[in-house]
Amino acid sequence: MHSRNHMNIFTHLALRLMAAQFNFRPSLNKHLKSADGWTNFSIGLKTETGTMEQAIVFQNGHARVLKYIPEKADAVMRFINDDILKETVRITPNEMLNLILKNKIILDGNMAYLGAFNFYISLIMGRRYQRMLDKANLLEIKSRKEEYGINDPGFAKELDKRKESRLKADTIDAGVKCLEDPYLSEYSIEAFPRIKMRHEKHFNATPEISSERPVLLTQWYRRHGFEKDSDGNPWTPELRQAYAFKYLMKNKKPVIRKDSIIAGTTCPEEVGVLVYPDTSGTLIWGELGSISKRVLTPCNISKETAGQLHDIFPFWAKRTTRAWISENHGYPFCQKIDERSVASFNFKTVSMSHTVPDLPRFVNDGTLAIIEEVQQQIKALAPEESDKRNTLTSMMLCLEGLNAYAANLAKEAKTLADKETDPQRKEELNRLYQTCSHVPANPARTLDEAVNAAWISWIGLLMENTNVSLSPGRLDQLFQPFFEKEMGSLSTGDEKKQYLEHVIELISCYFLRNAEHHNLVPDVANYLFGGSQSETAITVGGVTPDGKDAVNDMTYIILKVTEMLSLNDPNMNARFKLGVNSDTYLKRLCEVNYVTVATPSMHNDDAVMEAFSQNSDKIEDLRDWASTGCVEITLSGKHMSHTGATSVNMVAGLEMALNNGYHPLMNWHLGPKTGVVANGDFKTFDDFFVAFAAQQKFIIDNTVELNNMAAEAYAYLRPTPLLSTCIKGAVQNATDVTKGGAVYNTSGSFNIGLSDVVDSLMVIKKLVFDEKRITFEALKDAIDSNFENDPSLHAMVHKKVPRFGSGSAEAVDMANKLTGLIHGCYKSTKNFRGGDYTVGFWSVAQHVAYGTLSGALPSGRLAGRPFAPGATPDPSASKNFLDNIRDVAQLNPHHMDNNIAFNVKLVPGPDDSREKIVNTMFSYVKTYFEQGGMQIQFNVIHSDVLKDAMANPENYQNLLVRISGYNAYFVRLNKEMQIELIERAKYGL
Amino acid sequence: MKKTLILELKGNSLDDGPGIRSVVFFKGCPLSCIWCHNPESKKTGVEISFEPNECVGCNTCLGTCTKNALSKENPFFIDRTLCNLCFECVTNCPSNALERVGHEMNVPEIVETVLKDKPFFDTSKGGVTFSGGEPTLDMDFLGKTAKALKENGVHVLIETCGQFNYEKFNELVYPHVDLIYFDIKIMDSSHHKKYCGLPNKTILENFRTLYRRYLDGGTEVLPRTPLIPDITDTKENLLAIVSLYKEEQVKKTQLMAYHPLWRDKNLKLGISLPSTSEGKMGEWMATERTKACEKIFTDAGIALEP
Repeated sequence: MHSRNHMNIFTHLALRLMAAQFNFRPSLNKHLKSADGWTNFSIGLKTETGTMEQAIVFQNGHARVLKYIPEKADAVMRFINDDILKETVRITPNEMLNLILKNKIILDGNMAYLGAFNFYISLIMGRRYQRMLDKANLLEIKSRKEEYGINDPGFAKELDKRKESRLKADTIDAGVKCLEDPYLSEYSIEAFPRIKMRHEKHFNATPEISSERPVLLTQWYRRHGFEKDSDGNPWTPELRQAYAFKYLMKNKKPVIRKDSIIAGTTCPEEVGVLVYPDTSGTLIWGELGSISKRVLTPCNISKETAGQLHDIFPFWAKRTTRAWISENHGYPFCQKIDERSVASFNFKTVSMSHTVPDLPRFVNDGTLAIIEEVQQQIKALAPEESDKRNTLTSMMLCLEGLNAYAANLAKEAKTLADKETDPQRKEELNRLYQTCSHVPANPARTLDEAVNAAWISWIGLLMENTNVSLSPGRLDQLFQPFFEKEMGSLSTGDEKKQYLEHVIELISCYFLRNAEHHNLVPDVANYLFGGSQSETAITVGGVTPDGKDAVNDMTYIILKVTEMLSLNDPNMNARFKLGVNSDTYLKRLCEVNYVTVATPSMHNDDAVMEAFSQNSDKIEDLRDWASTGCVEITLSGKHMSHTGATSVNMVAGLEMALNNGYHPLMNWHLGPKTGVVANGDFKTFDDFFVAFAAQQKFIIDNTVELNNMAAEAYAYLRPTPLLSTCIKGAVQNATDVTKGGAVYNTSGSFNIGLSDVVDSLMVIKKLVFDEKRITFEALKDAIDSNFENDPSLHAMVHKKVPRFGSGSAEAVDMANKLTGLIHGCYKSTKNFRGGDYTVGFWSVAQHVAYGTLSGALPSGRLAGRPFAPGATPDPSASKNFLDNIRDVAQLNPHHMDNNIAFNVKLVPGPDDSREKIVNTMFSYVKTYFEQGGMQIQFNVIHSDVLKDAMANPENYQNLLVRISGYNAYFVRLNKEMQIELIERAKYGL
Repeated sequence: MKKTLILELKGNSLDDGPGIRSVVFFKGCPLSCIWCHNPESKKTGVEISFEPNECVGCNTCLGTCTKNALSKENPFFIDRTLCNLCFECVTNCPSNALERVGHEMNVPEIVETVLKDKPFFDTSKGGVTFSGGEPTLDMDFLGKTAKALKENGVHVLIETCGQFNYEKFNELVYPHVDLIYFDIKIMDSSHHKKYCGLPNKTILENFRTLYRRYLDGGTEVLPRTPLIPDITDTKENLLAIVSLYKEEQVKKTQLMAYHPLWRDKNLKLGISLPSTSEGKMGEWMATERTKACEKIFTDAGIALEP
């Protein structure tokens, strides 16, 4: 064990050098301190082979090096061998990340301190570090240019042409009361110069990290304490959060953008990046000096902001979900699995707010009505019910905070109006003054007030909750009555036209306000969840709670804005109810999808409601479902659904079943011992399936255990009293939604690798057991060697076994067997709030990330290659897209109550008319829905265009693509994901 | 039950008539056009094909052949004079580089397979297209299949070269068809014989008869012309077609641009490329050339179906 070598000496000297610099150079030494005093932590470094073990300890402003890792080290970096250690000395942060992802370097403990350590290294390296980053950037650009070598400026023009020659609607839906052509074909963005300008700005501006939220919140907590108040009494978490929130909202800068008819912004910066140090924000610590130069999603950061964050992060380093779990549950096994990012990943460490709040409550009733209700509740409490009183009081404080912010916006509008010289703008600002003086405190009276109320309360919700997947839901339903009333009061055609144009601008503003804040992600997330932004899902269409056609004027106006702006966020989702919604509406969805390339995502109401009926027997609630984040199902306004709680890599369970519980890439025997292929332990396919099921259950049980711990941590660290005021049940139960206050309480899982696992199981079943064409050992050997020695077996598994998506009933049965297994595993557990887990088969971008972390599979997929996304069949399944559609439509909805993502790439022919393209898409979607399919999403683009965009990103800044349930700008994706999209199965149109 | 040789049942076709269609490719054709884009459909018997790009070089096939018909020395890999079409090599080929071309199917088998796509026909106003080869080679079989589909509410289209016995066609097929795509390739009969193997007398007679019936309220007929460089796309030939259309009051036609992809298909079947396949026949047709052909028709007031 103690065979230390020269690397030990080298590491020791390097750390000594680092310590000396920090000890003796005041310019560096000052970074060891924050407003809380000296930042004390220790980092251990070692090789798994035992050749090196060192530690560096920062304590009371002094750094020292130890030749052993202290038992209580805050974080440890384990290098799998000397070679990896040597490599890390000369590589860029980006390449280092790759080693971490591939489990060549294993990180244990508190990631925030590892970030601090990395930040310290970047300080010492100074300009050399910046040069390394520049070099990495150039290399990356070059490698993208060379990957396919395509360069054809004509391609970008083809996409622009799609915006011309727009279709007109042939029929008018029952719910459309005012629009003469619901498709609004006469309008393009050219008709709205202010929107066009802001839209261009949106694409050209580099986002800027905003320190406003973290600074204000930390100020309050430093003054008033976190665990205990200034008198030393333990805080009631809800009250603490509410006071801090109120302080934040009162002191937040009220901003009205120059060209906006909606007041308020999430960040003062033009395009800001929100920071949440109270969950995962500290993960960015190591990148404070490099984030503006990283290859993917770079953001500007001012020196001042970097300094502020470096000062703030020590306060939060031990107050994150992960740190809390580690501290309170002794760094549990389930957390260790999760931190390897190979078998599962928990998102409660980032946010819990994947849900659809009751926005109508803020818009139609106003905060004063909610305060009134809360006060009534308080009055009815018995004297000893102090927990409930505190919870309700905290809700009230939050609503007061929201109102204070609106009042500040009103004041700002007045100030601006008084200074304004342009009469039209002056009038708009005066109107905003009136609006913000009235809403969200009081019920909205006009559409302008309604949209402003929805947005201002949204800002409040985003100040409280991380901007990940919190979704406004059915905005067409919310806004239609205002639109109808105002339109009805107008008499002349000119007035009506003018009003309609105003509404299009208003909704465009709403979209742009939503889009103009970014999500702060550490670089590692660019690779794990690339391009994913806030995922603010808006839902249109479907039916009303009483079952009537819900498609209305606002549905079409929202679709028009979607088409004009082609933004990745808000994430547009459309419901379709067979027999109720019209073909005209479905065709419009297809046309918008064609023009924007990638949005909206389309859902079949019947399948979704059937799937979700296991969680609710109230048909009115089921009919009021809305998409959340990517595609997931939330019962609007009464359901704490945390739909994206946890992801599971189903391939990891398969690899573990093939290796008796051992995972090759993790080099870890973590799972139960379920049998050895080489020993002939599997006599039948069912024997193997039992082993496979045991490994899946093991992973799911661990992921659930961790998620439940995270929920407990969340309820203590970050309860959400404002969100609780707009999810039914929380006020009535006087219980925060993080503790189960809502009417419905579920947690959502998404399970990745469906087709890869099904196809692999089919290969094992058919070739090894049914047809006995090969032995299990031979198959296992071929997998272990990545099929390098056996091309004929590689060909055979591809060509001689029917796959999911090929039209094979047997493969569909296998898929339903798998989804049934996964569903059963989750349903045998409960979440922290006493609710059920829901089960989804979509993948964000993790089908690429998990793919890089998985070995070769029986299906013939080679090591490191991406999986098929979501519930999409593998590209090799069939040349006939109809086979794909039929098979996916036959997936049993009862196993999929957290929805699926079926991603399809369609390639229009060069001479196809718009009618033909739209009609064919329509036919695919309608038939898929008639066959029972749940969700479908298209990328309508030719691979060559994507190849050109990879090489020439400057021509494609706003090229939208759909990944698995969410949209992203293609040019901002990591290279592996770009390649996955290019190689994804494509079908001609 | 009687079977016929089917080359392929292709689903999700968007270019063989209106809407989403399934195409039934029959094997065998009375003509032998030198440019035939589906050379694997020319012969009436089963064949064997070899796709070198799919071959992984495992040599499994070599051990299965009892006739020594397979050899890497042979540029086509298979010596078809020795092969007795036992298909042992095809069964054992792991990568499907060796494949059987042509499968015997009966009417219910075809009907059952294509009806799986019926829901897509219904939402797209599509249906089934009979193509080939030449679907009218076995009129009885074609008629029965078409009839069975019509009874299931499927729109039926046939693509024909026009070389068939009209009386039999009228009796067995015509009542069960909704739309006829009729090829008019070459107007000069001796040229027709030279490039397509037979004179065009029967074809033109059948066309005139069917088109007149269409104008009298019969089944719609759409004449179509493949544009083959220097063979069908000459000004002389196209003008001759235009005057036929004028005579028969044809208002609408479809032109199909040439593409050279058929050449590789020939090689898979062990057919050497004819000398005529070089030059312009080796390239995709230039857009200007297609446009010039289109203009001859539009100038004469004949509309073009996309």
